[in-house]
Amino acid sequence: MSFKNMSMPMRFVRAGLLLSGMACGSAEAFDLTWSGFGTLGYAQSDESVRYQRFIDNNGTVKRDTVFGAQVDARFSQQWGATLQAKVAPSDHRDNRWQASLAWAFLSWRPSDDWLIRAGKLRLPFMLNTENADVGATYDFVRLPQEVYSIAPTTDILGLSISKTWLGETYDWTAEAYTGSASTYWRYYGRDRTMSTSQPGSWFLPIDIRSTGLVLTARSLSHVFRIGYHEGESSRPGEKTRSDFQYGACPAAIPSQPCYNLAPGGVDKQRVPILTLGASVTLPQDFKLTGEFAKMRVSDSASRGLSRWGGYLALSRRIGSWVPYGYYAKVKSQGDALSLYQRIDANANVVHPAFQSYQHLVADLTTPYDQSTIAVGTSFWVTTNSVVKAEWSRVSTGVASSFVDAPQGGASGDRRFDVFSLSYGFTF
Amino acid sequence: MVGLGLGAGIAEEVWVVAHPSVQRIDRQTLQRIYTGRVLSIGGQAVLPVNLPPGNLVREEFLRLCLDQAEEQYTGYWLVRRYVGKGTPPPELLGVDEVIRHIQATPGAIGYLPASRAPRGVNVIFKP
Repeated sequence: MSFKNMSMPMRFVRAGLLLSGMACGSAEAFDLTWSGFGTLGYAQSDESVRYQRFIDNNGTVKRDTVFGAQVDARFSQQWGATLQAKVAPSDHRDNRWQASLAWAFLSWRPSDDWLIRAGKLRLPFMLNTENADVGATYDFVRLPQEVYSIAPTTDILGLSISKTWLGETYDWTAEAYTGSASTYWRYYGRDRTMSTSQPGSWFLPIDIRSTGLVLTARSLSHVFRIGYHEGESSRPGEKTRSDFQYGACPAAIPSQPCYNLAPGGVDKQRVPILTLGASVTLPQDFKLTGEFAKMRVSDSASRGLSRWGGYLALSRRIGSWVPYGYYAKVKSQGDALSLYQRIDANANVVHPAFQSYQHLVADLTTPYDQSTIAVGTSFWVTTNSVVKAEWSRVSTGVASSFVDAPQGGASGDRRFDVFSLSYGFTF
Repeated sequence: MVGLGLGAGIAEEVWVVAHPSVQRIDRQTLQRIYTGRVLSIGGQAVLPVNLPPGNLVREEFLRLCLDQAEEQYTGYWLVRRYVGKGTPPPELLGVDEVIRHIQATPGAIGYLPASRAPRGVNVIFKP
């Protein structure tokens, strides 16, 4: 038996080796395939302030560019393993690139309807969370961050068990998972950071435990998904500040009172997340996709992390073209936005020496209030390579932590355009 | 008769053939096998194989049996691979290899033009 070296849907190098008497105990085909993927993306806005870490009016390739490779090993009909590594901008430094292991799991499929995976897994939060790094698997230039950012982590080291019921029209899959991860949350101080008197970003190490249940109904034309995820976050070796207090400013200079982080804090925070998604094929090859997520981070000074986000997208396949448009919105809880506004306004009341300090405390609330309207198109050059272009207009309300506000300024009440171009491929 | 023109303009049926260990199946089961959702039938592990993209027999098989175009099928497996749910069926170079493979491998399933089907081959589905 000889397997062809050029395979579908991409060119896999496939080692079709018959290994008699393997660990599985019988003559099974050990099948090893590898594939590669990548996105080369460029984005530029008409604003000098940075958006989503990297995008400004100088243009950047760092926002969307990622390269990776995946190895799938099948030891038998039931047992397999997957490794996926990628190179992308670092998740804990703005000026570095980072190689990391996105997937590394062992899978066991004892029957058609059960799949058990253990190792490093990507969670089934939104419809495209698991394949978010592979731009050739969806039509948008960039998955709407208003929704796709709502998860403290998308990767865990843990266990996933899924059961599928095959129906006449729909396959129903229930997937339960549990696991933990160490990740980082990015903060940006427009005037100063926690440790320096200069504007900039910093990344707090966070430990996450997450358990969830996701139900997906899938047919050839439609997908519906609902999930509930119960997370628990903590800072390794430290308490997390959970509140603010209004009192004396932190230096002996006569001034109106300041907002300060309250002393103490909590060891753990509860992080429940609800996710909803649907993608429906309509007549004339139109597709309507909508997703929604809501997260609450209890007992956190960063109250703005508790937020909801949603988007609605309409696309249509016309030959190799898939033009699309979407509207997306994210908003923190009202009390978080009010708190941000009070602290931000207090910066104009306190002694000028404390102004940057008050801006820092306001930034720590991590507010989100923005919407995006986008139109774009993908053009499928082949079945495994795609060129995409998108124009989007971003509007911020009270404030948006996606925007690195300028020194002395604010991220709120801004309108700016972002133009993006990308090439995605697999091989 | 549904069929394909194999380059010479002759319309021909595509048959789904298998090792004698595999029983006859219906279209839905065939679709599930070729999309990685069914791994066994009646206790027999099934091992589907494909012809490579661009092969006319493959295109006709996808159209008649799976009700999908090449782009849909490859797109389906592209996503399925990158959500960590498996890899597509292996590909063999041509019909002769499919025949040899299904005769020698318990559970193997393939497809070929009806005119190329060897005498006595186990045909498990005709579109």
